[in-house]
Amino acid sequence: MNTPDQAIATHGFLGEEFLTWLWFRWETDGGEFTLPGGRVVGVALDDFLAFAAGSDDETQQTLRRGLPTRTAEARTALRQGHRLAKARLLVAEGSRQWTTTLDAATLTLGGVRLPEDAEECESDVDRTADRAANWLALHEIVQALYAVFLRDRVRPDYLATTGEAHARWMAG
Amino acid sequence: MAALRKSGSIVLFHWHGELTDPRDAAFAAALQQRRFRSIETAASEEVSVGWVTPLDPTGDSFASEDLDGGNGTWLRFRIDKKKLPMKWLQIRRDAAEKARGKKLSARERRELKDDLTETLLPRVLPTITLVDALLWHERRTVMLFASSKNAREVFGKLFFETFGLPLERSNPLVAGLRAGLGNEAAHRLERLEPVRWPRHEKAGTIARTTTTRIAPGAAVEDA
Repeated sequence: MNTPDQAIATHGFLGEEFLTWLWFRWETDGGEFTLPGGRVVGVALDDFLAFAAGSDDETQQTLRRGLPTRTAEARTALRQGHRLAKARLLVAEGSRQWTTTLDAATLTLGGVRLPEDAEECESDVDRTADRAANWLALHEIVQALYAVFLRDRVRPDYLATTGEAHARWMAG
Repeated sequence: MAALRKSGSIVLFHWHGELTDPRDAAFAAALQQRRFRSIETAASEEVSVGWVTPLDPTGDSFASEDLDGGNGTWLRFRIDKKKLPMKWLQIRRDAAEKARGKKLSARERRELKDDLTETLLPRVLPTITLVDALLWHERRTVMLFASSKNAREVFGKLFFETFGLPLERSNPLVAGLRAGLGNEAAHRLERLEPVRWPRHEKAGTIARTTTTRIAPGAAVEDA
């Protein structure tokens, strides 16, 4: 059995591939996902990207502010085969919107901002219940998106199907 | 009571095995067994870690309703640290050396520190850190509202001491194995290797690549 640190070392790349896949799906498919149970969520990349270094000798590239996904630096990094190590995400479901920075190798959600409290919240007890529901919803959405990615990723023909489209997008 | 936070960083943990239902009195009793104990008057450098509730930061009461976190159970632990203020030690040492007209020996410096520890520490207030967590019993999941290594380790140790269950931090492998992929897919997941995406260094290469079908296998998994 892997220890947590070993698992991050051996399978952290999956989180990076997942984050890069979210970008791919956002640009090629609009970033809307229908999750199990009919849940429809939207995902977009926001104003922070960090690319994973290809090796210990390479520099990690970070892009902040504005629209970093549209920059020449970001496209170059993709063309050079770099995966995303971290990115600030916008996650939306109906009228609710979360922002968070996903650390891909550990799947840690940093700097989360929950949606605004529901209007009907009148007390701290109400607000706690509303926020707890929103924390859980964010976790469920990220987990469900990861499962969508993995179902594709573990398919034996992945490289010839989604992997090929992904490679084409990265080169484009 | 203030409401649960609406921003911050989180780390997820899972457990295997049976955890007492938070609605049972035994759950609150287990927290009380490992409740926070004050070190306010301690005369030595110390760290104290233990459970409190969002309603009572002293750790004196653990009513089940105080743990109400909407669809989850709202846990809170407190870390107090008491440390001799180094600035005070430096000032006292400088004064002693000035009075003596020469530097203190290692033994004299140690004695000075011991004296100061004895006289100053009971008057020093500890620093207080309160850390929250939300627990969903049926999902065997607990969300820690902190991401520092120290907070993660303290929480894992306290949880184990309280409930006798080790926590497993989520990561891409653990999250994948919990994603309901099925046995065969889970087995393949454990053996996956990173995709080595093709590198396109030059503009000309990029242009050709975008108009030419990438042969299957152009992106390959690292062997």
